This record gives sequence, C-alpha cells and structure tokens, in this order.
Amino acid sequence: MVIYRDEYRLYNFGPSHPFSPVRLEMLTSLLQALGVWREPLVPQEATREDVLSVHSERLVKRVEAATRGERVPDLEHYGLGTGDTPLFPGMDRAARILVGGTLEGARRILAGEKWVLQLGGGLHHAQYDRSSGFCVYNDLSVAIRHLTRAGLRVAYLDIDVHHGDGVQWIHYEEKEVLTLSFHESGRYLFPGTGHVHEIGRGEGVGRKLNLPLEPFTEDESYLEVFQVLVPWALSTFRPDVLVVQAGADAHFLDPLADLLLTTRAYARIFPLILEYAEAYAGGRVLFTLGGGYSLDATVRIWALLYHVFHGLPLPERLPEGWLREWEARLGNPLTPTLHDPEVPYPEIPRRQEIEKRNRLTLERLTELVRPHLVH
Amino acid sequence: MLVQDVMRFPVVTVEPGVTLEEAYRLLLEKGIRHLPVMGEGRLVGIITDRDIRLATSHLNPKGPCPGCTRVAEVMTQEVVTAHPLDPVEEAARVMRERKIGCLPVLEDGVLVGIVTGIDLLDALLKLTGVTEPSGRLEVRLPDRVGELARLTGFLAGRGINIHSLLSYPENGDRVRAVVRVNTLETHLLAEGLRQEGFEVLWPPKKPW
Ligand SMILES: [Zn+2]
Repeated sequence: MVIYRDEYRLYNFGPSHPFSPVRLEMLTSLLQALGVWREPLVPQEATREDVLSVHSERLVKRVEAATRGERVPDLEHYGLGTGDTPLFPGMDRAARILVGGTLEGARRILAGEKWVLQLGGGLHHAQYDRSSGFCVYNDLSVAIRHLTRAGLRVAYLDIDVHHGDGVQWIHYEEKEVLTLSFHESGRYLFPGTGHVHEIGRGEGVGRKLNLPLEPFTEDESYLEVFQVLVPWALSTFRPDVLVVQAGADAHFLDPLADLLLTTRAYARIFPLILEYAEAYAGGRVLFTLGGGYSLDATVRIWALLYHVFHGLPLPERLPEGWLREWEARLGNPLTPTLHDPEVPYPEIPRRQEIEKRNRLTLERLTELVRPHLVH
Repeated sequence: MLVQDVMRFPVVTVEPGVTLEEAYRLLLEKGIRHLPVMGEGRLVGIITDRDIRLATSHLNPKGPCPGCTRVAEVMTQEVVTAHPLDPVEEAARVMRERKIGCLPVLEDGVLVGIVTGIDLLDALLKLTGVTEPSGRLEVRLPDRVGELARLTGFLAGRGINIHSLLSYPENGDRVRAVVRVNTLETHLLAEGLRQEGFEVLWPPKKPW
C-alpha cells in the first residue's frame, strides 16, 4: 500500500532550498509516465495531540505562532527561522500533513497491512524540543510511538546519509525501539552525532546502533557492512515491525554529502530490506522517504524503490517525453536511464583504506552492543 | 570559558587521620580518583588512587598496611590549586606541565570545587561545538589581520549561525580555522568560499 497526498508539497522552504517539493512532483510524474502509478491512499493530517506524543508543547506552540506570522523572540533556540529550517506560512499544517502520512502507515500496519510505502516524510532530525536540519516535526517518531503504544517492538533503519539523530534521541532510553543508522561520519557532516559509542541509555542501552561510514565509501563497502549488521541486529532484537527512512542522499551525486553510492547499491539494498523484514520482523515494513538533494539521482532512487516495493521489473530508459519536459524545466540534462552509467565517477585512490576502516567501525560497534543486545 | 564553568562541587574530601583503606573505599564508592585532604577547614594535601595503590603495594619496602597507614603519611602536601576565575586553558596548562590529574579550586582559601582531566575534556567538547547539531568547515587562512573576519563575515552574509570556531597556527605563516556551523549545507558554503578565494580543506571539492 502506498500513501501519498498532493499537499505534501506544501512543505516548502522556498525555491532555493534543497528540501524541495519538486522532488515529489518529478517522482510522481515519472511513475505516471512509466505507467506504473497506482492510486495511493490519501492520509489525514496529524492532529496537535499526535505531534505532542513526541514533541514538547513549547516547541509546538512556537511552530504554531510562527506559522500565524507572530514574532517569537526565542525561535532560534527551537531550531526555527534558521538558514536550514526557515519559516514559511502554513508550516505547522504542512508538517502535520507529512506526519499524518507516516502515522497512517503505522495505523495500517496495526490493521494488518504488511508493506506500506509513505511517499513523503522521513524528517529524522527533528528532536523532542527542537526542529533541526529541514525537519519541523518528527513523523517517524510519531509513527514509532504509535506502534510501541500498541505493544509492538519497532526496529528503525535509517539509510539517509545523515545521522538519524532526532529519532535516536527521542527513543534513546526505550527498550522496545531499536534504532540503526548508516550514515557518513559525523566528524565532518551534519549533525555531528551518530558515533558508535552512542548506544542508548537506561533500558535503551545496546538498542541504539550507529555505523558512521568514511567519506567516499562506495557500493561494495557499504553493502558489505550492511549485510552483516542489519540481519545480526534484527535477528537478535526480533522486532514486530521495521520502519525505514529511505533517504537518497548517500548517492554520489548528492550535493550535501560525500558517500558514493550508485543506483546499483540501492537496487540491492531495497530488496534486502524486504527480505530482512520477512525474516525478522513478521514481514511488516513501513518505508518513508527522507533526504536526497540531487533531483536527478533522488527521483531515480525513489522510482526504483517504488518498483521494488511493487515487485515490478525495473525500466531501463526513462520516458523521452518526461525527460524532455523536466530537462526544459530544470535547465539541466538528466540521466536518461534508471541506473547510473557503468563507470559513474573517477576511481577513488583511498578505496582500500576506506573499506578497512568501515570494517573496523563495524567490529567496534558489534563489540560494544553485543553484551546488551543478546536476549 | 572559566574554571568555575567546568569545575565540580561539592567536593568529596577526607581528613588527614583516616586510613588508606577508608580513603580507598570512598574513592570506589564515589567513582572518583582524587581526594583533597582537609585539616581544620583548610586544604592541607591531596591523595589519589595512585598514591594509595603505591603505598599499599607489596613492592613497597615498608610493606602494605591499608588499615594502619594514615592519609597524612602518604598525601601530597604542596597542592597546586586553581581559582574559579582562571581560564580553563590555564588550568589545562598547569596540569599538563606538572603532570597532575586534578586541581582543587580555592577562593579566599576556601575549597569551592575541583577540576579533573575529564572536566577539561568536557570543556574541549563544548569548545569544539560538537554538542550542537552542526556540520564542519575547515579553512586555511593567511596569518594576518582581518582574515578570520572575512571568513565569519562571509558566513554571516549567508545567514549561518556559528556554533564554534577554533583556530590554531600552522607552519608559521598560516592559520587553520575549524568552524562548526548550524547547517546541512557545508558543501554549498565551501563552494562559495572557494569562489571568494578561500582555501577550503573540508568539505572537499568533488571532481564530478
Ligand atoms: Zn540526509
């Protein structure tokens, strides 16, 4: 089941902001041009109460006031009105619409649905008391809390290139939530967290896992650690459902980060996630989107996800008419095939060192959490 | 950042007459490694877990006697101290030069806190700004008037909040500046800085 609503595109920080609603417009028009678009379920917007299940009242009040155009002097303390998360009219509702989609996904899972793809959301930086990094409210945590309140154990898997800090901190002391984030090391990249040593606190110890990857990590090294860590963590934790943040910004074309995944890695990762859900999470999985700031790459990756999700064969070339229309609109050439070219970027001289360091990080992480994660 | 911003208080102390056994138990119980020794309300010495282990070792010629040796016999008497208004870097320098692990903090002769190596590491973390959600820029600047101002002015012009800014000398005539900025868009900033003629070391320029 796919969840989508045109009003997701109201979540718009302005024309020059990277978190652009154009991504969704391009994606849905591409799926239509390919003839695979099926009518989605249109979700309700989340209520104020829903948002308050994971956020502070004072944060919500400030988002609401700013949305009404009131001047609030301490907005920046709450991560709002900043360069990354500027204010825009209707922000509160636009954010609640995205939250509503992911929450609807959680409700459908509880109602017996196995696979849900929410074509939006993934706002993993928003914290209990602070908006951050393009993320006003945390749709993922609202959905996760809805699931845990219904008695389910949730494994959260984050493949966005940035650390899923908001989700991690919100559930940091919860034993029924496993968080697992693959990201470019926070030594350099926003938000600076996601170290292997962040493994949870109190009852949550050993259930927050971070694999910070070296800048310039490529497909092979990524898949190597992914295929060791994810099945191990899931088979040990035994969740009832898997919630996935499927950000597409680990792609080599992404302008904000430095991992070098190609579409071929994503074509392996998405089926693997479905396999793992089947093997370790009762077959239940809820996907959301997330970051992804190269329009060209992001739209192809999410189109790929949509095909894998529906068990459709992958198209090779993208429709000519669609390409012409969007190339004219964006004023840039686009990759004409779903996959990247065979040799998409020059050779990376440090490849072996990077692979070695990623393996080492994986070892350190498993050593740290093993004593806590075993049941 | 001053010593009073990073020091811990109240301070766990002992009297000179307690035995090493009692002092050691106190260290274990509180999870600490340093005990200022107080005699009649005044700081008269300091004793560490290492002092106690050395004094009670089987290798000690006088032989181990944790239950009969008093703190006063083993403690260091000439205690190096800090003042609450000392800058943290001064505390760090004293501890490094004297190779000691802590400084009792005195104000008008009264013990008001203690600073250990761990507190200075916390201070370092705070100074580097990694405790706030942020990305990292690294820029090499000529070591001359106005270069840092040019850098921060550029960031201000882009509406970027700086969480922290560290700079240190490099090769005599240059300065390395490490800036933690409240944005996901460090690549965009780096590109803008390069266009303005800055030498940006991180994030790197992608060759495609
Ligand atoms: Zn991201």
